[in-house]
Amino acid sequence: MSEKRKGKHTTKRGRFVQTVVEVEGRTETRVVELPAFEPPPWTAATPLTIVGTSPLRVDAAEKVTGRARYTADIVRPGMLHAVIVRAPLAKGTVTAMDLDAARAMPGVRAVMGTGDAPAATRLFRRDISYAGQPLAAVCAESLDAAECAARVLATSLRVDAAPHAVIVDDAIAPDAPLVRKDGNTTAPDVVERGDVARGLAAAEVTITREYRTPVALHSALEPHGAVCEWNGEHLTVWESTQGIFRVRSDVAKALTVPQAKVRVLKDYMGGGFGAKNGAGAHTYTAALFARQLGAPVRCINDRRAEQTDSGNRPATVQKVTIAARRDGTLTALVLDALIPLGISGWEGGPAQIFHELYACPNVRTTEICVYINASGMQAFRGPGYVEGAFALEGAMNALARALQIDPVALRLKNLATRDERANREFSGNRLDECYTEGMRRFGWTSTVHRPPPTVTRVKHGIGVAAQTWPTGGGPPSYADVRINSDGSVDVLAGTQDLGTGARTILAQIAAEALGARLDTVRAVIGDTERLPYTGNSWGSMTTPSVGPAVRMAAEEAKARLLEAAAQMLDAPVESLSTNDSQVLLDSVVALSFSDLCRKLGNVHIVGHGSRGPNPELAIVTVGAQFAEVEVDPETGVVRVLRVVAVHDAGRIINPALAESQLHGGIIQGIGYALFEERHIDRARGVTLNANLHDYKIPTMADVPAIDASFLDGADPAANHIGARGIAEPPIIPTAPAIAAAVADAIGVEVCEIPLTPWRVLTALAQ
Amino acid sequence: MRFTVNGSPRDVDPARSPTLLAALRDQLGITGPKLSCDHGECGACTVRLDGELVYACLSLTAACEGTQVQTVEGLANGNALHPLQESFITHDAAQCGFCTPGQLLAAATLLEQKPHPTDDEIRAAMSGNLCRCGTYPKIIAAIRAVADGAGGAP
Repeated sequence: MSEKRKGKHTTKRGRFVQTVVEVEGRTETRVVELPAFEPPPWTAATPLTIVGTSPLRVDAAEKVTGRARYTADIVRPGMLHAVIVRAPLAKGTVTAMDLDAARAMPGVRAVMGTGDAPAATRLFRRDISYAGQPLAAVCAESLDAAECAARVLATSLRVDAAPHAVIVDDAIAPDAPLVRKDGNTTAPDVVERGDVARGLAAAEVTITREYRTPVALHSALEPHGAVCEWNGEHLTVWESTQGIFRVRSDVAKALTVPQAKVRVLKDYMGGGFGAKNGAGAHTYTAALFARQLGAPVRCINDRRAEQTDSGNRPATVQKVTIAARRDGTLTALVLDALIPLGISGWEGGPAQIFHELYACPNVRTTEICVYINASGMQAFRGPGYVEGAFALEGAMNALARALQIDPVALRLKNLATRDERANREFSGNRLDECYTEGMRRFGWTSTVHRPPPTVTRVKHGIGVAAQTWPTGGGPPSYADVRINSDGSVDVLAGTQDLGTGARTILAQIAAEALGARLDTVRAVIGDTERLPYTGNSWGSMTTPSVGPAVRMAAEEAKARLLEAAAQMLDAPVESLSTNDSQVLLDSVVALSFSDLCRKLGNVHIVGHGSRGPNPELAIVTVGAQFAEVEVDPETGVVRVLRVVAVHDAGRIINPALAESQLHGGIIQGIGYALFEERHIDRARGVTLNANLHDYKIPTMADVPAIDASFLDGADPAANHIGARGIAEPPIIPTAPAIAAAVADAIGVEVCEIPLTPWRVLTALAQ
Repeated sequence: MRFTVNGSPRDVDPARSPTLLAALRDQLGITGPKLSCDHGECGACTVRLDGELVYACLSLTAACEGTQVQTVEGLANGNALHPLQESFITHDAAQCGFCTPGQLLAAATLLEQKPHPTDDEIRAAMSGNLCRCGTYPKIIAAIRAVADGAGGAP
């Protein structure tokens, strides 16, 4: 970082530089803005009074009273309702569909079928490549009328079925039907460091296992949905989304409308978990009908559509070879992975964590993505790392058992002290302390040479697993901080709050930097038309990306406020400071923000902030989790009794909200370990459990005692607020920790999740 | 057809909205109860019908004539929040908030029927209301605090 950027504050704009940025573990070269000024970092020693405390979530009252309005709660005058008709089988061609029969139904206003949507929307195509694919849509005066007409349309559908492949084994078979024109598999993605052959030769113990993970469904309680309304050439979209600007660019591109004429709004949303990162079939359907009919249109997925065609975590088949010396020193790690993505998706596979979590000189990963006739994947909380951790940590636990070394000791022995994949130092990484603090909280006793448990029907076991996840965030993200004429403060940033608490923590950061009372600061988010750009709320990036921009904007607004105060008080600006919404002159209260701003009248005090580029360091959030389970060997039922989690994410802006994120990740991890698995009928190609009864997510009765915490501290090398991301890391180690505890309990490894009674009993029988 | 919603008599047309959930949301603009699974699997639509917990998505509007319906909007007493609402706020027992209206009504019903439940009784009574954000530990803590007479204090 140059001296120029660290110097005295100036309102001069930054300049553009080319740099390497990292998104979800992948790097790319981009042009980014280098801010003219960045404030000195908040270190662990910086006395902060609002950041690092747990004020209540600012929108909690809205949520407990029912006043919080979600997309489906938006009602526009004359609003119509759209329903999408979906493919009943996995591969084939539409030969007939009676659109007129649907048009003749009561209340129906319009119908779209094959060829009626712009090609860029990819809607309503004749060729079917997965069950649940949108084939047509109906728009009517009520949801009931639209659903009735959609059923009529579905009944009239005639389809020539073709052979499909919905599971990985079928798609890679020699006589497999062609899933995509360009083939059923991607070219192998091989990443190697060191010399794996030599590492295997040097090993004294080598273990090979095949791990399988299921397709998991996001299952946000609020389905994907949009309300679209045209006013002349201007389109307004209310959308439940993690990325308002991404929805805007998607819609503008698909409908060939300038971005300036599309406004995307998002107030409250009922969960995203990675599946709501752009516009979807519901958005385009609503926008097209709304344009055609000149009326607002709402289109919301029903639960079946949500569980069928709104994204998923893809399954994996992972063959792992782990090699070590007898003292536990790793000599080689090898992964060969097959990842059935669905019909489409991005290749964020399980390999990454194999390169990052441990010090190991020789690592080779090979990923082959497989296309199958099922809905495409979407990012799902910790994509790739969750699947990879199940295999890597499973293999580490198997190695610990084989070597009779305590699994924590084995991990500490092989701790990564730098990012060996990218050959960089860490900005901060206290995984060793996560282990020791977690052991203390859990009361961990070595799993080696434990006395055999007393003979009871129900078996107890304990297990451990760890995680890493890139959480640096980065540019571009912008924010403005505006001080009103009564001294109250608006933080303006075009980001989203998924339920994470972004509204609250951005207000905390601004209040801290400004020296304002938190209750005078409001974060305004979720509007592409009136707010500065920020990126999607994905990759645990909102706090480390938007947070520094907000701080910088607040610092600039404070500088302007103090310049005005200096004039008013006839004092040098260096003698002024702020605290508790007051201006202090030589540390004595001189003027309140409200008095100062009232005297200024409508003089505009605004600060602009932008997120500067990251340092050339590996910025990761790490952690360790410990689980205790009981297994009933007669029924195969696994119950998680308790989970202890300790993670390191640098500075924690709001410990209470951060703890909620840990709980959420761990509980979703319990579902992934024990219950969650999409079942597709191999013969018909349709999802059999596309509902919340047969696709089991954890209930309150499934939740164990959870002790989840972050280490105290700050990471000033990562960014100037010292905070890294926190949302995705906690789901990553939960399933492997539970699987290790089950193996400890029953003495048999189960290498496929979810650990259903059937799988546990099958393992016990062998 | 007339029934009482949150203390006020209201008229709805059951033919336009076969389910109680649709009648509340579409005809009366009461959007606290949410449509999520539409099959009585998730609890996001939970309301109270004559004091009993029901899934509004599975309740027929026509069968509700003359009943007393309570939604989350009727939980507060004027501007004074229900102790459970206060406790949910202070314990951070709502993340995205979508399931929260249903959770609150389930919790209120539990505490009316069993003012001092054990944690396991709380888990069992609340297990018909799903939360995908995983707020469960804090919901338990929020209910626990009210049951223990701590009001909204954390």
